[in-house]
Amino acid sequence: MNSEKDFTEVYHTHAPKVFRLCMGYASGDEDLAKEWLQETFIKVWKHRKTFRKEANAGTWIYRIAVNVCLSDLRKTQNSQSIQEHMMASEIADSEEINQEDNIHKLYGCIDQLTAQNKALILLELEEVPQATIAETVGLAHGAVRTRLSRIRNALLKCMTYEK
Amino acid sequence: MKNDTLQQLWDAQEGNLPIESPETIIQKAKSQRRGQWLTIIILSLTVITLVVFALSFVNQWNSFFGGLLLMISSLVFRIVLEYISMYRKEGQLIALDNKSFRMYLKTYYKNRLKVNYYITPICFALYVIGFLLLLPYFKRELSSGFYTYIIISGIISLIVLIVIIAHSVKKEQGFLRQLQDQ
Repeated sequence: MNSEKDFTEVYHTHAPKVFRLCMGYASGDEDLAKEWLQETFIKVWKHRKTFRKEANAGTWIYRIAVNVCLSDLRKTQNSQSIQEHMMASEIADSEEINQEDNIHKLYGCIDQLTAQNKALILLELEEVPQATIAETVGLAHGAVRTRLSRIRNALLKCMTYEK
Repeated sequence: MKNDTLQQLWDAQEGNLPIESPETIIQKAKSQRRGQWLTIIILSLTVITLVVFALSFVNQWNSFFGGLLLMISSLVFRIVLEYISMYRKEGQLIALDNKSFRMYLKTYYKNRLKVNYYITPICFALYVIGFLLLLPYFKRELSSGFYTYIIISGIISLIVLIVIIAHSVKKEQGFLRQLQDQ
């Protein structure tokens, strides 16, 4: 990944996934997610020489992205607005609740998870293979599978309850 | 709501992502690197100047040079410490998996609190002592108006510095609490 051409290719492949991962961490705060995405790839470029060619670029990039999101401990501005958004949806007629509302609810439910569980489910939703997720977060493959199943159930319950 | 619904919902998010071009990212990374090098060069030059200065005036040493040296060296020491801490953190962010990095962050913020509680006040005290050592020279050499200005601006700067340090300590205590709660 030493040349600009290689970096560009890697960026186009992984940036959309990293952005949505950051959106999940930022509870849908687009500006914050953009900031984290940018910081992730700035670090990828700056440390590209430390990347071992035999390793998986995706795993390396997701690991950096999750750590970037995790290390920014500012409270996301959207946590509050998500709660307000949910209350507004409850007041509105249930049939009017559209997909955007549901996505906001999903962000709200993800926001209630622990930092590690957030990483697990966001990577899973981005269809990152479970072996890569395990490597990214530093857990055993089996543990990831079990945890993901529990997280999915918790999210489904949360989404249903919020409806 | 079924399991698949979560995935469908996630995939239904807008496709047009407002992301920057890779060229912009590379430019920003390069400009950050240049900035880091510039800071390292300036800090190195300051340290070299201080050493040369101290060695050149070793025979005619007085409290004016002592004061100046205390002020600059305490400031430079604290800035260098900040840079080392930031540099190490970035290295760990790149190298560690998420679980290990979270553990590292807890240690990092605990160490930061130690720095804030012990090292920063020592640097601050040395800086103030250095400033106090300079005052008799200022009083003798400068007009009374300018001397008063230095005293007032000096006190205001020190108060601002205390507020910044207190704010930073409070913020980092909050970060540590947040990490421990997770």
